[in-house]
Parts: sequence; structure tokens; C-alpha cells
Amino acid sequence: MLRGRWLQWGITVFTLAVFLLVIVTGLFGTPAGNHNFGIVYVWLVWWALLKLLLVPLMGRFWCSVCPIPAPGDWLQRRAIITPRPGGKLYTVATKLLRRPGSAGARPWPKLLRNIWVQNLGFLSVALFSALILTSPLATALILLGFILVSLLVSLFFERRAFCRYLCPIGGFVGVYGQMAPVAVRVKDPAVCASHTDKACYVGSDAGYGCPYSNVLQKLETNTTCSMCGECLRTCNKDNIAFYVRMPGADLLDTRGRRLDEAFNGLMMLGAAFIYSVVLIGPDGPLKVTARAVGTPGWFIYAAALLAFNLVAVPGLFWLCVRVGQALTGKPKAVIGQFAARNRKRESLFADYATVLVPLGLAIWVAFTLSFTLTNLSYAWSALSDPFGWGWNLFGTASIAWTPYLSGMIPYLQVPVLLVGLIIAVALGLRTAHQHQQPSVAALPVSAFCALAVVGLLTLYMA
Amino acid sequence: MKRSDLFALLIVLIVLLGLPAGLFGYQALRTQAAGMRVIDITARKPEGGGFIPDHLELRAGQPVRLRISSPDVVHGLTIPGLGVNVDEIYPGKVVEVDLTPDKPGRYAFACTRWCGIDHWRMRGVIEVLGAAGEALPTEPPPLYQRLGIDLDAPTHPAHATPAAQPSAKEGVALNVALPAEVTDATQRRTLAPVDAFQRLRDDPANAGLSDDDVWNLVAWAWLKDVKPNALARAETLFARDCAACHGLDGKGGGPAGVGLPGMRKMDPTMPKGPANFTDAGTMLAASDVLLQGKLLRGGMGTGMPEFGSLYSDEEQWAMIAYLRTFLFRK
Repeated sequence: MLRGRWLQWGITVFTLAVFLLVIVTGLFGTPAGNHNFGIVYVWLVWWALLKLLLVPLMGRFWCSVCPIPAPGDWLQRRAIITPRPGGKLYTVATKLLRRPGSAGARPWPKLLRNIWVQNLGFLSVALFSALILTSPLATALILLGFILVSLLVSLFFERRAFCRYLCPIGGFVGVYGQMAPVAVRVKDPAVCASHTDKACYVGSDAGYGCPYSNVLQKLETNTTCSMCGECLRTCNKDNIAFYVRMPGADLLDTRGRRLDEAFNGLMMLGAAFIYSVVLIGPDGPLKVTARAVGTPGWFIYAAALLAFNLVAVPGLFWLCVRVGQALTGKPKAVIGQFAARNRKRESLFADYATVLVPLGLAIWVAFTLSFTLTNLSYAWSALSDPFGWGWNLFGTASIAWTPYLSGMIPYLQVPVLLVGLIIAVALGLRTAHQHQQPSVAALPVSAFCALAVVGLLTLYMA
Repeated sequence: MKRSDLFALLIVLIVLLGLPAGLFGYQALRTQAAGMRVIDITARKPEGGGFIPDHLELRAGQPVRLRISSPDVVHGLTIPGLGVNVDEIYPGKVVEVDLTPDKPGRYAFACTRWCGIDHWRMRGVIEVLGAAGEALPTEPPPLYQRLGIDLDAPTHPAHATPAAQPSAKEGVALNVALPAEVTDATQRRTLAPVDAFQRLRDDPANAGLSDDDVWNLVAWAWLKDVKPNALARAETLFARDCAACHGLDGKGGGPAGVGLPGMRKMDPTMPKGPANFTDAGTMLAASDVLLQGKLLRGGMGTGMPEFGSLYSDEEQWAMIAYLRTFLFRK
């Protein structure tokens, strides 16, 4: 079933239809967000599915059925279902920019092969989030922008460069996807070592090379794998499989972590705080200011958001790591097979940031539970009357707003946050031990995590 | 291209083209199925444009469906001349009103919900032409214009004011025959109450009455023609349209009137802010026609909107009688 293409295509066409409905209702429907299909089904239904189910359980699977890169894929492949011979891809570059010795399609620039642009993209969206999350038109324009940029990128750069390096959603979905209890990995690395075809990367008659430019032999985390199944189709050694595993297994080795992913974790943590205050907090004037893009008040809000996300949260975390280091002295040289590989980019800061993955995911789940359950009932009326034009397609248009499980939300949030905190503290200890540090080195980072949880709980309970 | 890809492409094209076409087609079908002319009206806060459109042209006898929606806050709608009252137009929801105007004329419509600081300016007009599209006849100018009354001329305070609150009930109990200029509504409306007081005071037949008795007669003369239900209606309209600025007690201290210059804009000697209907000096010096003129035109340095077009003739005079009750007891 995973090797077949029809199921994935079918889900993608469905999400494309929903996406199209979001765009059309955003452009032509009522500007009242709570009665517009676009707002309700993107920022309530889809967001809840993504944060509460897809990412925690399926990692980056959403990316494999996301409608945004689909048109670009089909153009690059010049096919929708049947693979091209050899899994060949076509881009404008293939035709126009071909140079002798060049394969045609341009690879993504080396300098940008990281998620820094995704981090900045997410922060940029966050600056306007109070507007985007409530204005159907803004949501439609942003999504149109995404699909246009994705299409444009796919015309010039091979594979899903937009998804891997540019999409603001893809960044955090990939980072948090490491917690998922499922993964696609090679069965036996030795088979890959002796298999020079690398069909999983270059493609074959059975399918295309990995859309995320992964060489499966080297794939160690879910960060860049959407589990689209392309490698399952192309590997003629049948050496790749879909695994059910322990949640968060990608995080067990905390060494050699990337700084861009560490920053993603910190930025997402900061954003969760800001959103909790602005979007579900009781401060009306703050909401108005955050929405009034371009006004002096908004510039102050934007400066505060950036300062909090780029300076305060990373600064405090860095301080915690340094204090932990000061308490115990410098870590001993890491020995073993990872030492040589990681020496260049070895950074305690980035390695300790693995704690932010379970913690951040738990915080976002808690945040999503709160605003989703409170507002999900809008989905009924928006389903029957997507434009707010007075339709009643399924007889649910008049269902009034009703918060779901409002009395239960704290009882769901607290355990989620506590589980996130416990895993984060355990990972902090593991990081210390893997860096030959005593347990006490993890104390400041653990305190940072506890502070985040207590801070959020205070916000929610207040 | 293989058959499977053709099929997949066909499905994708159906989604990309068919979905929008289906959605807009369904809306067009709904409009057609209404079996009458459908007019979409967007009700925005006045700062955002108010009613869009704010001018409609209909034909007498032609059924029409108004499809009203709000993109921002809760609005209401009244078209008094056509008997339409919609209490709530919620953002993102659509309210449909079917009507068939049978009489040509100009019908004002307005928002009835406190939708914003400029709520009062949220107005529109429906022109109902004849069944064959005949243009509307020109309406005669209002009474204050025909009488040449300058609404903005400084008015001198009444030279005499009652010591106690005059009572219509006590006035009628005196069983005094009043002159036609006071009892006849058409004549009385051009008189200021203080002038009526003076004429009655100067009448030798009333020599035996105290000043308070004469004021009671004036109160009776001013309130005797208004029916209780009309007065109750005026009270409702006052609460809806006037109280925000003039206050429910009529003293001019409503929250929306704070800081407005009022008549002082035209005359520094005049009081500031919305009119105080309990101020005997001003109110007893103003004729009903003058008050009607202000109701019809609005302005007065506060930016007061006109309410005349929203009220029937009976409602206008009932409203003026209601304003008198801030000084005269029934």
C-alpha cells in the first residue's frame, strides 16, 4: 500500500481541493474569520490535525500530501502517477540553463542548505500572525504566495527545495517530527554501502529520487523525511522499510546537533509564549495592536516579538548552557565514531537544544488544545456556509459557537506539559552524559524547561 | 501519456476548475431560484463605509430580497417606512429580508445597533419609483423652512420659567377654556411654550390663576394631543436613537456626547455639548416647529444626524411631545 501511488495522490488531490476552497473563500467570502471556511479550516481544523495528531504520530507525513508542492512536483515530473523512465525530473533550468557537463536542474545553493530561511520565514509570519489568523484575505494571500513561490522554485531547482529549505511550516514540522513513533530507514546499512546505484537518491524507473534530497543510507532523523514512500518504490534491494519505533528515538543521540534546528526549537518556544498571550490571552488592546499592522503600536509589538524570540529566549538558554558548563568544567573530548564527524560543528548549545523538541511539542500541543477546543465548533457552520453567504449545504450552518471540553482543557494540558518536561529533563541529562558531563550540568537547562512550563501554566490558568 | 495519468490529470482539472465553477454556480443558482430581484447589502461600520450600497432604487409592486451581511461587528437594520426591522446582523452571517414596496416614495434605512462611534451616520435611502419607473415627485420643504425659521440663530432663553414642574393633569383640572392658538395643533406648534404662557397670563380671563396654574395649562395644551402609545413609541425611539448623546434623563450627558462642541460652535454663549432637554430656559423658548426642524436636519455643532427621515410624521410629533415631558408632567 505504501509503495502504491494512488492513495498518496488521492489524499493530495483532496487537500488540494480543500486548499483551493480556502483560497476562494478567503478571497471572496466574508471577512469575518470565524464564519469563513479559510480561517476555520486552516487555523483551527488543519492546525489541530497537524499539531495534535500528524506531527506527534506521523512526523513530517503532512508534507507528503501537502497541496502546496504538488503542482511543482507534477510539472517537474511531467506526470502525475506513472514515473518517468529513470525517475527523470524536468525544470526550466533543464531546458534553458543547461551547460555542458551539467545535469540541467540546479541544485539548491550550498549556503542555504539549512533551515535558517525557514526560521526567518516562520518569524516573519509570526509578526503578522494576529492578522493572518483572523483575516481570510490575508490567509488566502499568504497561501497563494506559498504556492507561487513553491512553483517558481520547482521550476528552477530540483526536487522539493521549497519544502526542505523555505517552507516556514516544514521547518518546525521536521524538527518536531523527530518525536514521531514512525520512521522510514534502511534495513541494513551494509547493503547500502555496497550498492552504488543509489536509486533512492537519483531515482529509477520505479520512482523518483528522494524529493527532500536525502540519501537514505545517511538518514538518521525524521527532520527531512516526509515518509512519502518514494525510496520504498525505488530501492531495488528492498533495503528500506517503514518502522514503528519508540517515540523520540531520533533524539537519543544528542551529539552533533545543528544550530539552525536548535534555533527553530527556541523560536518555536518563544512563539508559543507570544501566541498564548496575544491570541488566547484576555488583553483586547494587545490583540488589536498585534493586528494593526503598520501602526506605531504594531512596530513596538513586532520589536518585542523579535527581541523575545531572537534575543531573550535564546540568550537565556545560552546562559543556562554556559552556567551548566561553568558548574562542571569543559566537557571531555567526545570519543567514538561520532567524534570525528561532529568535531567541527560540535556545540553544547545546539546539543542541549534537543530538550526543546519534546518540550516545544508539548507546549504547542497544550496551546493548540486550548484554542482549538474553544473554537472548533465554528467548523460546523463554516462547513455548511463556507463563504458566509447564507448557505446551509449540510444543515449545520446554524450550529452556534460552543466551546468543547472547556472544563477538561487544563486537565489535558497539565499532563501533556508534564510529560514534555519529564522527557526534556531526561534528554538534558542524556546530553550531559553523552558529553561526559556530570548530571548537575543539565540542571540549568532543566530549570529553563521547568520555567517555560510553569510560565505557560501560569498564563493558561490565569 | 498513459491512461492512468490522463485519468489523474482529469480529476485534478475537475478539482481546479470544477470546484470554483461549482461554488459560484451554486450561488448564482440560489439567486435565480429566489424568483425575485436579489440585492446584496454589506453593513460595515460607518468608518469602513456604512451600508454598501447605501442607495437603492426599487419599483413599486416589485418583490425584492435584501441579502444583508456584516463583515465586522453586529449591526441592525430598520426601514421604518417599509416596516422592516432586523435586530441583529451577525458578522459572517446573512440575513434575508423579502419585501414588496407598494407605495412610491423615499424610505430611509439605518443601523439600529451601537456599532461604532459613528453609528449614527450609518444610513441609506431606498427610492421606490412607480411601477412603470415614474420619477418621484418633489417633496414640499419642511415646515421650519416654509416658516423661515433659522435653526442655528441664537435663541434667547425664556424670560419666564415655572417655579415647579408644570403638570398637564393639574392643567386640565382647572377646566379653563383655552384660545385656538394654543389648542389647535397647527397654530400651537409655531408657538414657544413661554409665548403661550405669556398670552394666557396676559388674558384677563385668567387673572385669578397663579403662574403655576398657567404653566399647568401650558403643559396640558402641549401634551393633550399625544396618544399614550405614540408617547411610548417615542420613548423607545429616544432610548434607541437619542439617549447615547442626550442621556436617558435628557440632560445631555450621554457617553457619546462627551466632548462635542454643540451649539457653542455657532455661538459661544450657547451651552456646550448635546442639548439638555430639562433646561427650561432653552426648551420653553423653542417652538415645536423649531424642534422638528432640528430633528429633520440634524447638525447643531455636534454632528447630530437627521432622524426625520427615519420617523413618520406621527413619530416626529410624538418625539417632540416626549421631549416636552422632561419639563412637563403628564
